[in-house]
Amino acid sequence: MEKKYWNPYFGGVVLGTMLFLSFVIASQGFGASGTFSRATAQFLVDSDKSWLNNAYIAHYFRHGDNALLNWTVIETIGIFLGGFASALLAGRFMIRPDKAKGYSTLKRLFWALIGGMIIAFATRLTRGCTSGQGLDGMATFSVGAWIFMFSTFAAALIFSPLFRKQWVDENEGGDE
Amino acid sequence: MNDLILPLYKNGFLSPEANFFFAIVLGFAFGFVLERTGFTRSQYIADTFYFKNLAVPKIMGVTIITATTWFIFFAWMGWIDLGALFTPGTYVWPYVVGGLLFGFGMVMAGYCPGTAVAGLGTGKSDALLFLLGLFAGMFLYFILYPMIAGFASSGNLGVFKLQDLFGGNEYTSYILTVALETGIILFLMLLQKLTNKGEK
Repeated sequence: MEKKYWNPYFGGVVLGTMLFLSFVIASQGFGASGTFSRATAQFLVDSDKSWLNNAYIAHYFRHGDNALLNWTVIETIGIFLGGFASALLAGRFMIRPDKAKGYSTLKRLFWALIGGMIIAFATRLTRGCTSGQGLDGMATFSVGAWIFMFSTFAAALIFSPLFRKQWVDENEGGDE
Repeated sequence: MNDLILPLYKNGFLSPEANFFFAIVLGFAFGFVLERTGFTRSQYIADTFYFKNLAVPKIMGVTIITATTWFIFFAWMGWIDLGALFTPGTYVWPYVVGGLLFGFGMVMAGYCPGTAVAGLGTGKSDALLFLLGLFAGMFLYFILYPMIAGFASSGNLGVFKLQDLFGGNEYTSYILTVALETGIILFLMLLQKLTNKGEK
């Protein structure tokens, strides 16, 4: 039998205290999207130096030739290890996709891939994701983070009917 | 303000190497808590948008209230220079458009980058595909950047905080933040009750 997830309010207090500690120690909060942008840039430059002519890629190499020598990149490795350790200890480690019962696995993996592409593109416009822009920005009273979070939730709600089958177990507990 | 000790790194109390060590430790703790709270499951996150489970906005709201409460207490005690904390700049139009794209991708994929990294650690195959998609999306952005660079830096207000918009100081911004986060959680709970779709 799986352990239950933490109470959300308790989880928020723990997460908020960790976010505070991150700022207090490293002067910055959590992040993740920058890691994938930097890794992609590094891969391109390693395979062909002419990618440095791209202004966006070049901005990662202003202070050296290794875009991956970066706090958020190192922290992202920690996120992976932390998720792995916690799942193992909770008896929740299992290789599987997450979706509504009966929804096609192939379709689920397809939408995850396309959604990842869209989100990556979006994070470059928004200078970060729900962690690096949303949490860090709101915690430091940034107006931009609120603009980002409101747009994100609005779009997710507007488009939610399109993906209902993927997420909602319709026959469960008299829903609908 | 130079006698302030916190934040440690900006004030020269940590070497870059020591700061990288803390990056691993803090990242580990972040990933651990993401798993403990259910954030490593795309279906659990997507439940939010159907008002089936409000754990995600509740956790995010309480996270912000908790972090800002620590900040304000430490600032009030004179222990931390809040101005030295990294704050993302505000670019109005890119954030509106980027946010809309992000939300569309989020209800499609069920993950954001951080939760997918932790999700991959728990063995989720959809998280792996999501992360592969991230590389492709970054590549696409780099290619298109010369065409959209102007838009990407439009509406630039620099570091723009609530007190710059509404007046007041860090303390009034703190009160406003707590009020907004609490209001949003209560509003969503009310909507959940009205739509009568939730379990609790």
